[in-house]
Amino acid sequence: MSGTVNITVDGKQVAVPAGTNLIEAARHAGKSVPHYCYHPRLTVAGNCRICLVEIQGQGKLQIACNTKVTEGMSYFTDNERVRKAREGVMELLLINHPLDCPICDQAGECKLQEYAVEHGSGVTRFAFEKVSKPKNVSWGDRVVFDSERCILCTRCVRFLDEIAGTPEVGVDLRGEKATLIVKGDGQLTSPYQMNIIDLCPVGALTSRDFRFKSRVWFMHFTDTLCTSCARGCNTVVGSRGDRVLRMVPRTNPDVNDSWMCDFGRLHYGFANDPERLTTPRVAGKGAPYAVAISRAKAILEGARGQGILAVASPFMTNEELFALKGILDHLGVEDRYFLKPMGEGDQLLVHPEKCPNARGASLLGFLEAPAEWASKEYGVLLYVVPREGTDLPEEVLKRAKRRILFSLKDREADVCFPLTTWIEKDGTVVSAGDRLQRLTKGITFESTLVTERTVLDRLHAAFDAGSGSEGTAAQALARLAAAVPAFQGATWQRIGPMGMKLKAAGAPA
Amino acid sequence: MADFSPELVATIQDLWKRYPERKAALLPAMHLIQKERGGWFSPETIRDTAELFQVPDIHVQGIVGFYDMFHAEPVGRHVVRLCKTLSCKLRGADELRAHVKSAYGVDHGQTTADGAFTFRCFECLGHCTTAPMMLVDEERHENLTVEKLDRVLGGLR
Amino acid sequence: MIGETRVMLEHAADPAQRTLAGYRRNGGYQALAKALREMKPEEVTEEVLKSGLRGRGGAGFPTGRKWKFVPKTTKQKYICVNADESEPGTCKDRQIMENDPHQLIEGTLIAAYAIGAGTGYIYVRGEYPHSIRALEDALEEARGAGLVGRDILGSGFSCDIWVHSGAGAYICGEETALLTSLEGNRGYPRLRPPFPAVEGLWKCPTVVNNVETLACVTHILRRGAAWFSSLGCEGSTGTRLFCISGHVRNPGVYELECGKFTLRELLMDLGGGTPSGRPIKGVLPGGSSMPVLTAAELDVRFDLDSIAKAGSSLGSGAIMVFDESVSAVDVALNISQFYSHESCGQCTPCREGSDWVRLMLDAVRRRDAGEKDLALLLDVLDRIEGNTICALAEAFCWPVRSFVKKFGAEFEAHVAGRASA
Repeated sequence: MSGTVNITVDGKQVAVPAGTNLIEAARHAGKSVPHYCYHPRLTVAGNCRICLVEIQGQGKLQIACNTKVTEGMSYFTDNERVRKAREGVMELLLINHPLDCPICDQAGECKLQEYAVEHGSGVTRFAFEKVSKPKNVSWGDRVVFDSERCILCTRCVRFLDEIAGTPEVGVDLRGEKATLIVKGDGQLTSPYQMNIIDLCPVGALTSRDFRFKSRVWFMHFTDTLCTSCARGCNTVVGSRGDRVLRMVPRTNPDVNDSWMCDFGRLHYGFANDPERLTTPRVAGKGAPYAVAISRAKAILEGARGQGILAVASPFMTNEELFALKGILDHLGVEDRYFLKPMGEGDQLLVHPEKCPNARGASLLGFLEAPAEWASKEYGVLLYVVPREGTDLPEEVLKRAKRRILFSLKDREADVCFPLTTWIEKDGTVVSAGDRLQRLTKGITFESTLVTERTVLDRLHAAFDAGSGSEGTAAQALARLAAAVPAFQGATWQRIGPMGMKLKAAGAPA
Repeated sequence: MADFSPELVATIQDLWKRYPERKAALLPAMHLIQKERGGWFSPETIRDTAELFQVPDIHVQGIVGFYDMFHAEPVGRHVVRLCKTLSCKLRGADELRAHVKSAYGVDHGQTTADGAFTFRCFECLGHCTTAPMMLVDEERHENLTVEKLDRVLGGLR
Repeated sequence: MIGETRVMLEHAADPAQRTLAGYRRNGGYQALAKALREMKPEEVTEEVLKSGLRGRGGAGFPTGRKWKFVPKTTKQKYICVNADESEPGTCKDRQIMENDPHQLIEGTLIAAYAIGAGTGYIYVRGEYPHSIRALEDALEEARGAGLVGRDILGSGFSCDIWVHSGAGAYICGEETALLTSLEGNRGYPRLRPPFPAVEGLWKCPTVVNNVETLACVTHILRRGAAWFSSLGCEGSTGTRLFCISGHVRNPGVYELECGKFTLRELLMDLGGGTPSGRPIKGVLPGGSSMPVLTAAELDVRFDLDSIAKAGSSLGSGAIMVFDESVSAVDVALNISQFYSHESCGQCTPCREGSDWVRLMLDAVRRRDAGEKDLALLLDVLDRIEGNTICALAEAFCWPVRSFVKKFGAEFEAHVAGRASA
């Protein structure tokens, strides 16, 4: 399977890689072939029959998903015969479908709705009672199943079997009575089970977490990452107003294919927490940023050099870490550490490093915090508290005379700046495999909040008016790439939504 | 091993030798298991079968639901399968079904009150030239008439 | 007067034929010995190809050509006997399995030798306990005599054969569904390509042949391709088993040479006409999945190609006859009930469509449908046919469409006066 073959799609000639199926090949010609059961990362089931195309020289229509291109092949995705067959499949899919779109959570992102508009006839000719099947079936605490909406494409069955490695869903009965069943006590156990909700092309599988929260057409979507571990699964965050409502995987073959773990998917509640710190605190009292920054400056100036311990967070973006580095360089601080939360990993996606950017922190010159801290006294502790999973030991915290913190929640400190979460800022992280990837701002939690990078840049400017460090994340990245060899060649544009491999990766930090 | 009789387990182990994968012996083995477990697959029997074959329980359940000869509900002491497909219909299967309903009080899928037999109307049983016909457990009765049917079903009580 | 030419059923009435000794007395296992000792595997295939033998399960594909698709690899290969006989009206393979099982075993071994299969499975429908017992007894005897298993007849060729019971699903007679089922799964037909000859059981090359087909192989090797092709007619060589059922005086399984008589002669001479004396109204000449022929179409010559030209098919050799007392709507409904019950449920058009067709026919029967509904029914059949993984969709689309078209007046009478339901 090497090289390309020349084919004709709806009269348009294109060259496509050998071994491509007719759905993917059609994309090369700018054509989309509708499909339900086909998924590029699952085995071909060929059961929905909506992807029928006419191949020149073949009597019967063929399903595009199970047919590979051959040299000289010409096929039609949109002629009269194909349209009629498709319209037929659409009608048959809908005869037993409840058409309860007004109360269905899938509405707005449902392939039945979309294809019915594009390929359906707009009317039903079915005059009988629809088949009655189990509704609102709990498949555990994350997934809810509606058998009447199910079109038996078996994407969920195949995902759990082929990708998650836990065959937990099967098909029972046959013919029009066929329905899905779950193993054992009927509760899913896979840590990846929620992917079947995304895979379900209709409203048969819905998320207990998300259902009925919002119509998708009222939501705002942001391409970003999951930050629960170092994998950096590419995601889309759905938000409404200033609150995150859900996160789903975004396809990236080099990182997470089309999947993510349930833990990461459901781990966004901290962003919506009403108890979050939204203004800086100075000596336990709310203060404007300018006041907090000048207080922090005074504290740091009082200590200088070796009197300062800097502890960064692996939840920070590279640009934030670089901004912190600028201050530390200016002050001549040598003790630069970061805390790294660790946990269990697995074979599929879950990485044992429970933070998005430990690698970035290393590349920017921060050392992993020692298991045992030396009993050295510090005048000032500058500490960006990790979002979760780890914290400085109490005695290290106490040992410093003065403390400047960045934290999600208010903590005892001379100055405490609020942290912003991953969805409130642009920036980059270095994910597993030395992949530089982008975070994108999706919400503004509180209009009063200023991101860490800006706070750090302003603090830096307070020492050195010429530091000229503010600007967009792209500009910050450009400065970083120019200064740190490991990031050489990285630009906001080049990273793009899919990320890029760091060239100098592997070089010692 | 999941409380099957040692004889049954030994027989199934023999079946396994016929195939490169144990799973292939499921259908032949499930006939024997169903017989030993009272003629149907209870959730417990499904679990035990899955355990013996080291397959997910939904796999066994999916097979029970797919094949007409496996039962997911309790059955009577005997299972009567009356063929209802065309050749038998043309020679009186509908009348026999009506007779069973009036004389024994059972229609398709039902079990007589005394538990003597479960009555099922089956699709083509492959005895079209000696229609109408029925299978009572593994015995066949061909060229049925109402009288002949009564003699056979009467003997089940 | 039409007479039978009994080859496969020559000794069917003799209970001794079921035993190895009885079978051998009548020349049994000589064909196998000849193949193993005197012929190369490819010579066996050539002989079968020359005989003109076509599959007897329904599709009529040349058997020798099917064998030739098997790649010449040293990989494990399988021969699989399709004994899932479940096409309505068909009960011929059962005659072979119950009355003369060794000729099937012998044919299976010859096929195994030709394609290089080391294992064979006979997939018998679960509703045939008698056939299963008869085959198991015969296999045990054959195994004891060194005819099945290791180093058969000292030839160095080894092949085990096992009986495998199905459990009640028509679709498992479809060859890829049979393979899926045999592997211990729900009997779903598979996507082609790959074809079983390349990737069948456990992804190994596999040939699936019908019982009667393999019984013919035994006789072809015993008496030669020339002899076989001298029987019957071009395109339908040899003898074939036909099951005549329904409204005939003498229902039964008959072994006949095709091309020597018309369908009407067959039904009158052998079938004896209708028991009631009423005229024949319609005939399904090849199982319920084939288009119906009306009384006016019965003078067609009875062979594969002639019946095909008449717009139907010999299919599995099941001839079902109904007389004037029967409602065509009832017959069509009975057929659609069968297929909607038997749809495996994989493909959208068949899963949803088979039941819709059944509901529409039931509405017609209850006189609860209107004139537009007949057009709708035909249109829905068009949307289903040809658009699924296997041929079960065609299996109900063809007969139902033929009923609506050929008995149009009767269907129209059922919906008269109503625009739609």
